[in-house]
Amino acid sequence: MRHASKLVLTLFVLVGAVGLTACGSSSDEGSGAGQGAGSTATKPSDGPESASMGGKVPSIVIRGGEPVGGVKELEYDAGDEIRFEVESDVADEVHVHGYDLMQDVPAGGTVSFDFPAEIEGIFEVELEGRGEQIAELRVNP
Amino acid sequence: MTWLPFAHALAARQDLPIPAWLFAWAASIVLIVSFVALSAAWRSPRFEEAHWRPLGAGPSRLLLSWPLQALCGAVGVFLLGVAVYAGLRGTEAPDRNFALTFLFVTCWLGFPVFSALLGDVFRPFNPWRAVGRAAGAGFRAIAGQRPVHLAYPRALGRWPAALGLLAFVWLEVVYGGSGGVAVGLDPYVVGVAALLYSAYTLAMMALFGTEEWCERGEVFSVYFGMFSQLGCFGVEDGRLGRRRPFAAATRWATLPGSTAVVIASIASTSFDGGSEGAFKGAIESTVGWLIDLGAGPLAAQRLGDTIFMLLCFAGVGLVYLLGVRGMRTVPGAPSLAKLRTGFAHTLVPIALAYLVAHYFSLFVFQEQAQFTYLLSDPLGTATTDLFGTASGGVDYRVLSANAIWYIQVGALVVGHVIGLTLAHDRALVYWPDYREAARSQYWMLAVMVAFTCFGLYLLSVANG
Repeated sequence: MRHASKLVLTLFVLVGAVGLTACGSSSDEGSGAGQGAGSTATKPSDGPESASMGGKVPSIVIRGGEPVGGVKELEYDAGDEIRFEVESDVADEVHVHGYDLMQDVPAGGTVSFDFPAEIEGIFEVELEGRGEQIAELRVNP
Repeated sequence: MTWLPFAHALAARQDLPIPAWLFAWAASIVLIVSFVALSAAWRSPRFEEAHWRPLGAGPSRLLLSWPLQALCGAVGVFLLGVAVYAGLRGTEAPDRNFALTFLFVTCWLGFPVFSALLGDVFRPFNPWRAVGRAAGAGFRAIAGQRPVHLAYPRALGRWPAALGLLAFVWLEVVYGGSGGVAVGLDPYVVGVAALLYSAYTLAMMALFGTEEWCERGEVFSVYFGMFSQLGCFGVEDGRLGRRRPFAAATRWATLPGSTAVVIASIASTSFDGGSEGAFKGAIESTVGWLIDLGAGPLAAQRLGDTIFMLLCFAGVGLVYLLGVRGMRTVPGAPSLAKLRTGFAHTLVPIALAYLVAHYFSLFVFQEQAQFTYLLSDPLGTATTDLFGTASGGVDYRVLSANAIWYIQVGALVVGHVIGLTLAHDRALVYWPDYREAARSQYWMLAVMVAFTCFGLYLLSVANG
């Protein structure tokens, strides 16, 4: 009787330990797979999209009302200065959700954004008139 | 990022996923606490007795008086009316329309938490119950006799509520979520759905009796009522009173179908969270496969989402049944059916923990909208400013990403520990020898750890 319960207990510890490592590794794997190209959450310097490095200001190019190369991922740490440009061949309004910033862009024109990263989270950058998402802004704590 | 467009359409900010290190810590704490809880000297059941203590007669008489009940019912009917009117006549933009935030955030997410803290607060405000009771009173006054009802089929139990719960979440997450880019549920659809549900509910109340239907079939009464069983306030024999927390829950699951209600709750939250991250790839390939078979894009999206929602329901149910089946291996175990209903209530704290972990931030942000511009301009047409708050907005700075992570992890860990404690307590009823009770609980422990790890996993890959 006592033997059996010991055995069950040992088994359980093993299952638990395996489960824990499985959970842990799958979380890494999951977040890596999910983020695709921009999977460098903690190392912004690796990603070409990461503008916090300074230097070149990332640019979102709109052709035919859609972002070239898909929804652009922009990643910053809280306190950084967020800078990016939107170059568009259609006239619309660019809306940064959460921060609630809006700027009109004329057809064939460019608008630039420059504001401090003070709200953490994931935000949509959208062509308001078309309801088309053009970028995803991530601000890490 | 057009997945979960409903929540998306409402909240302009999404949470950052729980980082791996916090995930690992939380999972470790869950395991350690579980072992300590099991080996603790908890040798006789403590929650089976409610330890009911009535409060003073004064507050009871006031709070349960018919004028106050009628007033609360009228408030409920009025607010439902406002929501339906806003849905039918208001703006198409989900985030500017009173109907969506009021029904899907303020009520749907608010009542579970307030019910767990304060008791069954939905009951007096339930608009359908209020109409049903008023109609009953009218009938008695005119006909001079009590209305005659059909006998409710006993075996049906709470199954209508479980199915209704799945239908409601389906409308919100699948039907509303497949409109394309950040569209969300059309407020008009919400208005029509609310009217249809009202007609159905009132018809069922007329057939089976108002209180009978509220106890078993009315989705929101059953769902919010389930969470109110966790708290320490309640009404018995017409008196308000206090009881031991979680004690009422031990008697909740006795009606057939109750297990399905709580599993539907956990499954729908899992699906909503998982469709953002964990199941995203799988759903996309299913949708692609359905399109290849000849389905239209929208139909394929909805069908794919529906399949995964049902898979979540089946998966959560299967894990629970495995845990229950495992208990049968311990000598002296009661029948499978008895075990299945006997442990269903232990999932209720987990269901609440899932809700808090997934929707806490949405609730905090969206309630700022509810009490500013949605209150003053319910139609979203910028034509009214009833309370002078129409120009208000949502301040996303009130919660930092860190605060949200700790609340998410905290809710899951606490919910798990309470569920585990309730399960251990119930096992002591079936196995008077505490060592055998503890042995039966290795299975339940595995179920609980699985649910907590799964919940954490969903939050760690969300929005990836």
